[in-house]
Amino acid sequence: MIKLENVTKIYKGEVPALRDANVNIDKGEFVFLVGASGSGKSTFIRLLNKEEEPTQGRIFVAGKDIGALNGWKVPYLRRNIGYVFQDFKLLPTKTVFENVAFALEVIGRPSHVIKSQVPAILELVGLTKKVDSFPGELSGGEQQRVSVARAFVNRPLILLADEPTGNLDPATSVGIMRLLDRINRTGTTVVMATHDRGIVDTMRRRVIELDKGHIVRDQSRGVYE
Amino acid sequence: MAMNIRYVARETGTNLRRNFSLTLASVVTVAVSLTLFGAALVFAQGVGNMTARWKGGIEFIVFMQPSATQEQLDSVQRALEDNPEVTQVSYVDKPAAYEEFKQLFARSKDMVEAVDENAMPPSFRVAPATSDADVIQALGQAFQKKAGVREVVFAFETVRTMQRITRIASIVIVGVAVFLLVAAVLLILNTIRMAMFARRREIEVMKLVGATNWFIRVPFMIEGLVHGIVGAAVAIVGVQGLNWAFDRGLSNNRDLKIFQGFVISGSQMSFTTLLLVGLGCLIGALGSGIAVSRFLDV
Repeated sequence: MIKLENVTKIYKGEVPALRDANVNIDKGEFVFLVGASGSGKSTFIRLLNKEEEPTQGRIFVAGKDIGALNGWKVPYLRRNIGYVFQDFKLLPTKTVFENVAFALEVIGRPSHVIKSQVPAILELVGLTKKVDSFPGELSGGEQQRVSVARAFVNRPLILLADEPTGNLDPATSVGIMRLLDRINRTGTTVVMATHDRGIVDTMRRRVIELDKGHIVRDQSRGVYE
Repeated sequence: MAMNIRYVARETGTNLRRNFSLTLASVVTVAVSLTLFGAALVFAQGVGNMTARWKGGIEFIVFMQPSATQEQLDSVQRALEDNPEVTQVSYVDKPAAYEEFKQLFARSKDMVEAVDENAMPPSFRVAPATSDADVIQALGQAFQKKAGVREVVFAFETVRTMQRITRIASIVIVGVAVFLLVAAVLLILNTIRMAMFARRREIEVMKLVGATNWFIRVPFMIEGLVHGIVGAAVAIVGVQGLNWAFDRGLSNNRDLKIFQGFVISGSQMSFTTLLLVGLGCLIGALGSGIAVSRFLDV
């Protein structure tokens, strides 16, 4: 599903954020990216979404070399990739329903699809009672559920999560991880960058550890350290 | 592409409302610049119509009697063409003279209806080699006595002054209008930029969930286009109003006979209207186009 071939990323005039990375992630895998701040986790994720271009090497997503992708095709790549952030990135002037619906609306989905899919996904994340609330009225955990709902409402093949529990307390984090696990069980490939030792050690999934841009460990059913 | 019209209308509407003061500034600038532009054009057209006979260095016109014979016509023509002081002679026959008459007196329908083609005097338009008024005067007078000649009419000093002033005024007005048009483009550009800044979160989310570039751009482009078109509409009303006021104030004034011929034809007005709409669209598209391509990094 995801393949990195000798990928190096150097931001202008800086030390490499990623050096000669070779990774192969299969469909349906759940992968943790761990490592200190600045080790290259975020770069790894941003490369998959084509938010950044590799300085060297090739990246394949769903069998396609995304380096060879025309600019106008990038949106179609992103429709297959859900993205969850540490800071949620919800629109404060839209309700929960509207926030999720927005993701379908702007890729041209007809309104009857929106009307049936949004309530279904909000039920999945357990927010049926909050559809008309605004993000400011929700707890951090609830906001992150909305953001997961938005990322997953289009049923993407891949879900990228950049420190999704970074702003949440441990108990709330467990809830979010249960949700991501459930999404992973539907066959969606999940790649998650995290600092959360407890989560990694509990879930026991594949762990890729980065240190100063090098992949120093790639272990199935791994732990944080 | 499945572009939801309701979505575009809603987004554009929100942008226009949210940025009301800047939107107003853009629209007013477009309107003022296009009004100046249109007014200059209409004025130039009016003066052009009024002085159509005197274009291309023509200094005097030899009007023949409507009853002049072919021999008399030939003789005057030969005399003009053989004269070394004359660089150009053009003959205006009866039908052409009638057409001109109709345009010149478009305002006085009864006058046009009172005469027919046969009553029109054919004429020779003469462009002399010199610009010396005395020489031209003498040259023209020489034909006054010829058989079949009704009268020799010289370009009024007023006509010349009129043409000169119009030319200078048009250049100045169009110059100012062009500056204002540039200002309008920049204002639209900044208004759109503000709108994009106000919606940066939405734009970020749109990019991440895979909205196409055009889907993101179109509402902003249409916003700019709306500025241009609304501005042009105001300008059209302004130009029509100016034309109307001019019509009432000057053209019907019996003391200012020269403005009798100052009539804008319907087709000239439609041309001006279309031009203003076109320019409005162009300004809007240009401003928003630059904003979208420069500041919307998709």
